[in-house]
Amino acid sequence: MLFKSLFSKGKKENAVIEDIAKHIKLLCSACGFFKTALETDDRRLMRKVMHIERAGDSIRREIISKIYDGAFLPYIRPDLCKFVEIVDSVFDLLEDTGYKYLELKMPEALKGECVHVAFLNRRICEMLLITFEAMLKGEDLREKILAIRIYEKKIDDIKFDLLRDAQKIDITNFWEGENLSRFLCYLTSISDVIEDASDYLQIVHVSIK
Amino acid sequence: MVMFLLIEDVSQSVRGGMGMKVKEFMTTRIETIGLDKSVYDAVERMVDRRIRSLLVRSPGDERKSGVITARDVVFKVLAKGLDPNKIKVSEIASKPIISIDQNMEFDEVAKVMGESNIARAFVFDNDRIIGVVALMDVMAATLIARARGEHVI
Repeated sequence: MLFKSLFSKGKKENAVIEDIAKHIKLLCSACGFFKTALETDDRRLMRKVMHIERAGDSIRREIISKIYDGAFLPYIRPDLCKFVEIVDSVFDLLEDTGYKYLELKMPEALKGECVHVAFLNRRICEMLLITFEAMLKGEDLREKILAIRIYEKKIDDIKFDLLRDAQKIDITNFWEGENLSRFLCYLTSISDVIEDASDYLQIVHVSIK
Repeated sequence: MVMFLLIEDVSQSVRGGMGMKVKEFMTTRIETIGLDKSVYDAVERMVDRRIRSLLVRSPGDERKSGVITARDVVFKVLAKGLDPNKIKVSEIASKPIISIDQNMEFDEVAKVMGESNIARAFVFDNDRIIGVVALMDVMAATLIARARGEHVI
């Protein structure tokens, strides 16, 4: 009951909730476009993905200002803000990954696995949205958070294989290796940050019970 | 307007629907070993990579491949006091492997695995092996499907 009163009433609260959902949905879209750009080597689309980061940034600013303009009880604000900041950091990470992609020539031996990770990144973002929506309804988040962990573990497994394969690739200069290494590192870190975001949803969920 | 379109697309894709397809959650990396290698070689590879099975790839026709598992090694060689250096993997590998399609859903895969009493099924694209699904993958996929509100077993 308390949950519904916290999350369903008040214009300011509703506006924040709508913006947070919009923020996560935009992230899902960005991850989806990233996967398509990677799969088709569409560099123009990859640049567009990087532009979405700016849109995400402006939504983040709006959410934070609305929260501190009086939405929600003060004790809940820091955790909600932290959640929004973490989601926003995924946009930054996606942008960095896109930049690194534009600076490298993707080795054919790694492409398939990288596209698979990008696909799973999109899926884990969708799961974060599902978790957020479940929290709004006051549902138990256990199954949702477990699904996020499963995705994260799957990406982690692929990461070690990718790094092992990357070591077999001939690198002709320092920056080629540096860019590839950072690209793989960023690409496989997105799920870690989403998992952190889901932990914050859990904290918010528990704190308002 | 552009942002609205992006968000609309997401709302539709997260809505619960059909179950998860094999290609979404299969393991694409398959550890293999040659037919003529010794069981000792297989054990070495499995321990080194911390895996429980290896695909024994048949040259030419992948549908004739076999699989060697930790269970095969322990029950067919070690428990009988045989020397793993003197036995070839082809002698103890289980054949034929069970093949599934990448567009199958996980609930169908669970049924196939249950009926065949096997712990892993290989994913084929025409006559080429492109992935493997183990029992743990089936469990994980089922949990994800439940969390997504999709139809599950």
